[in-house]
Amino acid sequence: MLKTLLASSVAFAALAGTANAADKKLVISVYGFAQDEFKEIVYDPFKAICDCDLVVETGNSVERLAKLEARKDDPEIDMAVMSTHDALAAARKGVTQPIDVSRLTNYDKLYDIAKDPLGDHLGVGYTFYATSIAYRADKVKIESWADLFQDELKGRVAFPNVTTNQGPPALYMLGMAMGNDAADLKAPIDEVASNKDDIVTFYERSSQVAQLMQQEEILAAPIGRFSWGPYSKMDMDMAWATPKEGETGGMNVMILTKGAKNEDLAYQFMDFWLSTDIQTKLAEALVDSPANSEVVVSDEIAENLTYGAETVKNLKLLPPDVILDNREAWLSEWNAKVGQ
Amino acid sequence: MFHNRTEALALAMPAAIFAAIVFLVPVGILLSEGFRAADSWTLSAYTGFFDNELNRVVFWRTLKLGALVTAASAVIGYATAYAIVTLPPTARGRMIGLVVMPLMISPVARTYAWIVILGRTGIVNKAIVGLGLSDEPLRFLFTETAVFIGLLQLFLPLMILSLISALENMPKDAVPAARVLGANWLQVFLKVILPLTKEGLVIGGTLVFTGSLTAYITPAILGGSKVLMLETLLYQRVTVANDFASASIIAMILMVMSFSANMLLKRLATARSKR
Repeated sequence: MLKTLLASSVAFAALAGTANAADKKLVISVYGFAQDEFKEIVYDPFKAICDCDLVVETGNSVERLAKLEARKDDPEIDMAVMSTHDALAAARKGVTQPIDVSRLTNYDKLYDIAKDPLGDHLGVGYTFYATSIAYRADKVKIESWADLFQDELKGRVAFPNVTTNQGPPALYMLGMAMGNDAADLKAPIDEVASNKDDIVTFYERSSQVAQLMQQEEILAAPIGRFSWGPYSKMDMDMAWATPKEGETGGMNVMILTKGAKNEDLAYQFMDFWLSTDIQTKLAEALVDSPANSEVVVSDEIAENLTYGAETVKNLKLLPPDVILDNREAWLSEWNAKVGQ
Repeated sequence: MFHNRTEALALAMPAAIFAAIVFLVPVGILLSEGFRAADSWTLSAYTGFFDNELNRVVFWRTLKLGALVTAASAVIGYATAYAIVTLPPTARGRMIGLVVMPLMISPVARTYAWIVILGRTGIVNKAIVGLGLSDEPLRFLFTETAVFIGLLQLFLPLMILSLISALENMPKDAVPAARVLGANWLQVFLKVILPLTKEGLVIGGTLVFTGSLTAYITPAILGGSKVLMLETLLYQRVTVANDFASASIIAMILMVMSFSANMLLKRLATARSKR
């Protein structure tokens, strides 16, 4: 009898122990890209040190934002990563909470622009990218964003659709080249509309541009630095423009869900992701450009990233509130003038 | 087969309940979004949708391309299907295999292939420049022509297969009989083949038309935002503007267009056979 009791209690204790380990669960929501690399570099090593379960949800920003909002009162997701303007949209919907940066030991290592891009510590930048113009140096010369519409590029240039993350920043820089940096983007949208017959396409996927360049369908297009890899390998004289108005780009941030059930784990995970070691590995795998200023990579790797204090300092990023407050108006303006 | 109606209904019930829960209810909820105002039901979202010039342009373009692709696939489909059914059985099997083969390749791969074929350095432009028809390569990509070609290639097999099946069921001596009685080929087609294969045409036409209306990949890749269609507009409304109300209106319009096309084709087929 005693034996049976003892055996039962041991079994019970073992079961309870298992249950406790399974209870430690962190749920994150991330972009769907490069998940194999993230698993190897971030998720698996983190699971090994936290002794917890890590549930990864993926999807596009709209789906993930909708999910966060739907589960507002009983959040399932503890932390998420998204673009600055989507993160601000989430904050305005009341689904996120300020991050206590004193709990992130790697916070001070971040570039200044990544430290508090949304204000009130509603998000911490973990990666960013430059947007400029990729072009055929043997065929055209690009020194300004306005050069996209030079005669040599008539019928040989692609432009990002306003619906993409590259679209509004590229329009903003085009506006600057025209001497008009108003947030309504009316002037650059008018400029694109008046040249629309000379623009091969308004692309929606970066991969599409690389193919068009390879086929010599186009000779220039504004692209994000994260998609530069294939261009540098093309058997063509490809160049990355440094326009006199500067380069633009975008940033992704980490956010903490309001009422997150596993806040401690979420902080531990964010800090882990921001650490020099992990940010270096992600950079070396060409997954994300580092927001941690202590990351050092080879010149060859740096070539494919948005890297270095000087580069980061000169990025002219559209503020997230400007994107969020104007996005719908830009789309209407674009559809009315360019889309038809 | 069944002892009574109740038994048959009971057996069908699990599938019916499953379909209702996972399909009809969500579709109903989605479509009702377009009729919902703050506290009431209204049609204003629909009238508002058609007040917008871009939406009207996109609607007519979708309808036009759908109709053109259906008409072109019917013309090519009849010729191909007739040629195939007159072949000996072995050759017929091989030809049907060739028709089916593209359906086994992902539409994404097939559409990307058109980017290469229709590009400045593609085979079509090389031929045009080589034959001296133009000094410069022509631009096909990101035009309605490219979307038309892509959709036609995508859905033509469905029309051919429907027509092959209809033509195989047609009495073998109907065409020779009509010819012997002095009918020319146009009369044979209009008075004999068409009435006897109308069911195949209705099925093929519905598949091609609804497929063309609801295809997303092909218009997105070959047309891009320069040739917006209702499907690509729907995607834009959801992913960029997070505007599910407009998306549900577009979904409803697409469904109405599909049902209307099916009814119209059936009506045309019936009218012809009554005459």
